Amino acid sequence: MKPYKLKIVTPEKIFFDGEAEQITIRTTEGDIGILANHIKYVCNIVAGPLKIKDSSGEREAALSEGILKVSDEGVTVLASAVEWADEIDLERAERAKKKAEDILSDKTRADEFDRAEIKLKRALARISVSKRYL
Amino acid sequence: MATANIKDVKRRIKSVENTMQITKAMELVATSKLRSAKERAVASQPYFNTLYETMCEIQSDRGFKSIYTKKEFLKTVLVVVLAGDRGLAGGFNHNVLKLAEEKIKSLKQDGRTVKVFPIGKKAVEYFEKRKYEIYSKEYQISENLTMSRAISLSKKVISGFRNGIYDKVELVYTTFVSTLVQNALSITVLPIESDDLKGNEQGSSADIDKAKKSALTLYEPSAEEVFDGLIPKYISGLLFCSIVDSYASEQAARRTAMESSSDNASEMIDSLSLLYNRARQAQITQELNEIVAGQMGNN
Repeated sequence: MKPYKLKIVTPEKIFFDGEAEQITIRTTEGDIGILANHIKYVCNIVAGPLKIKDSSGEREAALSEGILKVSDEGVTVLASAVEWADEIDLERAERAKKKAEDILSDKTRADEFDRAEIKLKRALARISVSKRYL
Repeated sequence: MATANIKDVKRRIKSVENTMQITKAMELVATSKLRSAKERAVASQPYFNTLYETMCEIQSDRGFKSIYTKKEFLKTVLVVVLAGDRGLAGGFNHNVLKLAEEKIKSLKQDGRTVKVFPIGKKAVEYFEKRKYEIYSKEYQISENLTMSRAISLSKKVISGFRNGIYDKVELVYTTFVSTLVQNALSITVLPIESDDLKGNEQGSSADIDKAKKSALTLYEPSAEEVFDGLIPKYISGLLFCSIVDSYASEQAARRTAMESSSDNASEMIDSLSLLYNRARQAQITQELNEIVAGQMGNN
């Protein structure tokens, strides 16, 4: 398959800067795959798995919410956090999941719902990616 | 001072030496902290730049309206002030707080209500003491702020804006120019001024061409929704960058201040040692004189 330029950037670092043949990413509208020569495209992404396929095979990472941008220069993914499957701290993700669920089930903490929901989604994405890898 | 007490002078030398030890240590700590802060500031740049570019492109795309770009009659302004957690950083805290105070004063003269959102312990203390209307004191600690804290901080700022508690957000912080120069400045965060974005785009004609080309981009589900989803990320990115920037400035200011106080201390030790040696010499001379005079009396 034809490779294209892919860049994944977080506020802390540039996570990936190189060539890929295909990525699969979760957007607000559902999972989409991007191949080379895609039309210019911008959308919001939600926490979920990210698959990157290049000539050496397929790798998986857990992605937090952000945006996806496809332009003539290549594909850019901006996310608040990204980890490769083997980098995920499963225990920490389980703890975060439990904490978020506690907040969601506690009606007195309604003002924290939005944040807890995002945290829960992030934790679930990490757990599912990590478990598949094990 | 010719008859200065040797003991006193010695004690003073000792105390200045102790102070110098502290200032030297603080200088070294600030130097190493500055290095990591600078690295963080550089690392956060690509993320923010791409975010900003995308936003400019959507903005220049079509004339759409978003809650974040509305320009209504501006009555209440939220001033977010970023300062340090600790003192002993030369003019760092003073400069940024002074600028914030001037800004608030001029806003008040224009008949606006001002709420202050201080970040960093020094800022909280300052505005509390002067009885300003404070929006929140949740973020007392500005040191080592993580991205997730920056996100919750920006959510707080955005929710107040969306709920109409205030209709303009200004940010006052210190930007790192070089190790010796840090500038306090203020910028408007919300509403997002489309003129501003376009003004920046006009910097080079290449940018305009790029903006025109992007008119064919597909936005899903819609440009408006992508834009509105982008804003919280933009604001948290902006806040994160400016906090990192301000932290680097604080360390640089502290380093410079501690460097000059170490220099002053060693200067002081030099002059005190001179005084000490002189007093010692005078004492010896006097003792010799006394012995000689005693001997002469005996003879």
